[in-house]
Amino acid sequence: MREQSDYPAQDGKSELKVVKQVSYSTDPADFHYMTVNVPCQNACPAATNIPAYIRTLFEERYSRSYELNRIANIFPGVLGRVCSRPCEDQCRHGEPELGRPVNICHIKRAAADYRREGHIYMERLFAPLGKSVAIIGAGPSGLAAAHDLSTIGFKVVMFEAFDQPGGMLRYGIPEFRLPRDVLQAEIDSILRLGVTLHTGRRIGADVRMEDLLRDYDAVLAATGCYTSIPLGVPGEDLPGVYAGLEFMIDVTSGKAPRVGEKALVVGAGFTAFDCARSALRLGAREVSICLRRTEEDLRVTRDEILEAKREGISIKSLMLSQRIVGQGRAQGVEFVRTRPESVRADGKREIAPIQGSEFMEPCDTVIVATGQRSTPFDAPGEKDRHGILTPLGARGARTSVPGLYVAGDYATGPSTVIQAVAQGRRAAEVIAEDLTGGTRRQKAVRMEDTTITDRSRSWDYIQRQEMPTVAPMAKRLGSADIEVETGYERDAAHEESKRCYLCYLHYEIDMDRCIYCRYCIDVAPRDCIKLVESVETNEAGAIVGYKETTSWRRVNAVMIDNARCIRCGECARVCPVDCISVTKVELVERLSMEGGQ
Amino acid sequence: MSGEHYLIIGNGPAGREAAITLREKAPQSRVTVISKENVRCYQPHLLPQFIAGQVSEEELFTLPFSFFKERDIKLRLGQCVVDVDFHKSQVTMAHKEIIPYTGLIIAVGGTPRIPERCHRYRDRMLTLKTLTDARMWAEKLQKVSSALIVGGDLTSFALTRTLLAMGKRVSFLLNEESLWPVRCDDQVFREARVKLEQGGVEALRGTIQDIVRRSETSLEVTVDNKTFETGIVGAFYGLRPDVGFLAGSGLTIERGILVDEYLKTEVDNVYAAGDCAQVYHPGLKDYWVSIGYGNAENLGRIAASNLMGEKTPVETPQESILCAEGVRVNTSWWLEF
Repeated sequence: MREQSDYPAQDGKSELKVVKQVSYSTDPADFHYMTVNVPCQNACPAATNIPAYIRTLFEERYSRSYELNRIANIFPGVLGRVCSRPCEDQCRHGEPELGRPVNICHIKRAAADYRREGHIYMERLFAPLGKSVAIIGAGPSGLAAAHDLSTIGFKVVMFEAFDQPGGMLRYGIPEFRLPRDVLQAEIDSILRLGVTLHTGRRIGADVRMEDLLRDYDAVLAATGCYTSIPLGVPGEDLPGVYAGLEFMIDVTSGKAPRVGEKALVVGAGFTAFDCARSALRLGAREVSICLRRTEEDLRVTRDEILEAKREGISIKSLMLSQRIVGQGRAQGVEFVRTRPESVRADGKREIAPIQGSEFMEPCDTVIVATGQRSTPFDAPGEKDRHGILTPLGARGARTSVPGLYVAGDYATGPSTVIQAVAQGRRAAEVIAEDLTGGTRRQKAVRMEDTTITDRSRSWDYIQRQEMPTVAPMAKRLGSADIEVETGYERDAAHEESKRCYLCYLHYEIDMDRCIYCRYCIDVAPRDCIKLVESVETNEAGAIVGYKETTSWRRVNAVMIDNARCIRCGECARVCPVDCISVTKVELVERLSMEGGQ
Repeated sequence: MSGEHYLIIGNGPAGREAAITLREKAPQSRVTVISKENVRCYQPHLLPQFIAGQVSEEELFTLPFSFFKERDIKLRLGQCVVDVDFHKSQVTMAHKEIIPYTGLIIAVGGTPRIPERCHRYRDRMLTLKTLTDARMWAEKLQKVSSALIVGGDLTSFALTRTLLAMGKRVSFLLNEESLWPVRCDDQVFREARVKLEQGGVEALRGTIQDIVRRSETSLEVTVDNKTFETGIVGAFYGLRPDVGFLAGSGLTIERGILVDEYLKTEVDNVYAAGDCAQVYHPGLKDYWVSIGYGNAENLGRIAASNLMGEKTPVETPQESILCAEGVRVNTSWWLEF
């Protein structure tokens, strides 16, 4: 389905002018195009329109850049600091011969840092529906759902077990990575929509599920993962051994756990790094993170590894804990060496312990941060073996109990903040559909004719701008609440934004006008322009492959492979007959008037 | 000539010996050596003497170009590999060329390691790994009378001797990160200090807080709370394997590319040798790295032989082997200063 929404051109007598040629599509072929050609947005669980917010930041429209983020991910200021950045792994700038990915996350933070003071949130609000939803858990997933449900017109009431909202953002992430004023401001931007928040109310203890199911039209459980998974080795109950998550909750609640001189952290995720860096700030002189695999396999960002090392934390690889030893207190951990084995179906290598390679690492503090899982609570419905409600359906939000939904880490197991936000938004969408009988928001591909941008080829060679951090180290480690990353200066953010290849620009050769001069091929920075004999399409009609040829007699078209194109614009600049057009193609969310009552 | 193409990445002692061995064992195959540096193989341990002018540039080189030409070993110097696709058995070059191979030996060696703590002022420190580095040292030393050596590895002690011979005033800063890859504890520090002071070097202990450039010939260094001036700061924190281009390729990399006792990686036709390899030793049930010129030559030969179908294990490390941070090394160079 394609829908034209431009102002039609007139015969010169009318006062109306053509402002934009814009069309929206829900054609599967166009959605397929977006997944292949805008890899950063496709990698973002919340489908943030990354090229658009980077471009608006380049134009120094910081508030607009912030809004483009907020439309998709709700917490730009938070995510600009703590996102796991799946987008950067897919950024074209990181492809083998192109250099390093664009620092997408830090540009997001710059948008949050430099937006206008008192900027107005651009929120489209539906009229109240007269229906209510209870959300259990005010973490990123619950808050994201609360935001969406409120804007749609539901009355939202949240129940949070801790004293303050934020969930893992507040109790799992240390302040030196995420300042609490930034977090609170973005939580407030959701609560201001009329959300009622009850803190200190734990499901099962202070609130009963049957009461909620009776009193509300829908109940969403987004209670997160707060049960630590133990190592399962002897000695884990010795004093001086902490579960990673409990350790972090104590740190972030101001109850400083006792840490000795030498701490070993077992684990490979963000929690392990947060524990290690917090232990250093609590007075440990020597902190090591112990991995079964290698640094290469860590699930944290490169920046996180770098900062941990800068602070003096060592990362030790290929070791598997066997037991914790000590007389009355942890005094060491016995490990065995591991070695990589065959590759599993998920692409990761099996790691096997090497029998007989035992060795001891002395320490006085052990922090076990090997993972956590959801905590069960009393509720009707189908559950797994741990007593967790089983998510049903493709979007994983419904349960076997009508009116009861699940979202976030509770439903999926431990994930990242951006995944939790996306999950919460998806659950809100499902709840709205079930309670109103229609959709309120609809994904569409927006296409707008545009001219070639002012992007210069020389920008491809700009080095990635690194995030400045607090120095000297004594100042950084002197307090647990000094934010380590200080944020880009405006100039650095602007410079970094130039590096984006703007993959939302679609380049196309008009074959009726092409004179086959091949100038475009001569200037192409990589094999992105092809002499094509035929194209291969899928069931949706999307182009999924080309049959290339080197024989002129067989050439039926000269085509730009947008999956290889880095939008440098060189082809369009050299084209003598101006037959290369540029269209801005964006995956957006449109408000839908369909359905509802 | 057969259709087989053996590719060696790295033109150091391991790469050079691997190429020569491959040519001997596969006379009909194509053998190509790719190197980032645009000079032929040289002896890096002679770089300190080159800086002092005791050895000419020509004397650094091990073999003439004609040697490789006669053996039909193709040298591609000044070219950089940016990616390896092990499924397709091909490498991608920085200049976008794709080169297929039948067998691959990775012998890229190490690149100077600068601890993350020092990244803030790394542009104010010199390293010494390549001929380009050595030229930079030679040029700077003409203008300054003093040098501060931080870290401390095999090269730093040789360079210190050179600097003393050149009449320069040398200070040597030792701390926990010094003497890579050995842990510099109190006993090791005392040993190293005695040796250094006997040789006329001022031995300091502490950690650099900052380096500020005052002029072209003067740097202001703050060690703990003490500030002093020096002409050059040399950083010698050892090496890290120069394998950034292999990130995400599927090979397991810890302190080097993990290989078995036959130097084979997890990919069948791919071997690693020299400083960039971390070798599993079944006797030790652990991994070890071998550093030094002679060891690298030996590993290069073994990797090439095994790529050609032999089954030669790497020799057991010598008894002087030390274990540091889980890595076994066979050196204690400060005792020889």
